[in-house]
Amino acid sequence: MAAAALRPAILRHIRLSATTVTPLAAAAAAAQPHALARWLGRPMSSHADHLTHDEVVGRVLDVLKSHPKVDPSKVTPEAHFEKDLGLDSLDTVEVVMAIEEEFKLEIPDMEADKIDSLPLAIEYVANHPMAG
Amino acid sequence: MAAAAPSKSEVLSLFRTLLRTARQFSDYNIREYTRRRAADAFRENRALADAPAAAAAFADGKQQLEVAKRQVLVYSLYAPKAKSVVEMKMQ
Repeated sequence: MAAAALRPAILRHIRLSATTVTPLAAAAAAAQPHALARWLGRPMSSHADHLTHDEVVGRVLDVLKSHPKVDPSKVTPEAHFEKDLGLDSLDTVEVVMAIEEEFKLEIPDMEADKIDSLPLAIEYVANHPMAG
Repeated sequence: MAAAAPSKSEVLSLFRTLLRTARQFSDYNIREYTRRRAADAFRENRALADAPAAAAAFADGKQQLEVAKRQVLVYSLYAPKAKSVVEMKMQ
């Protein structure tokens, strides 16, 4: 059949293109030997891409909104946990712990006790060098 | 035992330490149970008015914290090989 006759021609074509592409890829890799390492290394550094203030605000608000006792419509960047959101001191501990988990932080007790509103939480996370 | 009632910051510190310890369990179900149980117990006892009852609840909480710490260690030695299906969905 015609297909059988075409087969060797097609195969030769594929083999040809494969041998021409490989040296090109090798040359590209040789020209930028650290491109892969840079790409892999970037997410592991906390300083290379430090969190922006807007990102911190957004993620803290998301944590608050997903807390079961918080009315999402009341969450604003200026809200106070107890006065505006109606949380008690136990809820506040849970919320601060959730923020810790979100940003992979460990907030010492002394600091965590002082965080009783969204502005304080945002300020703490934004100023923390290890927040990720 | 007529112990003085624990201060508010002591109680919150114990609560926070319990939640931190709960977080270390490798098993999803145990981790979530410990967290829920701690939160429920503190809510249940929040209105304890007289000092001896509050002190007793506080002492019980500290004992539970020791149990949780020990079990984190024990369970870490026998951690499940597969993750819970709930955790797989979250990833």
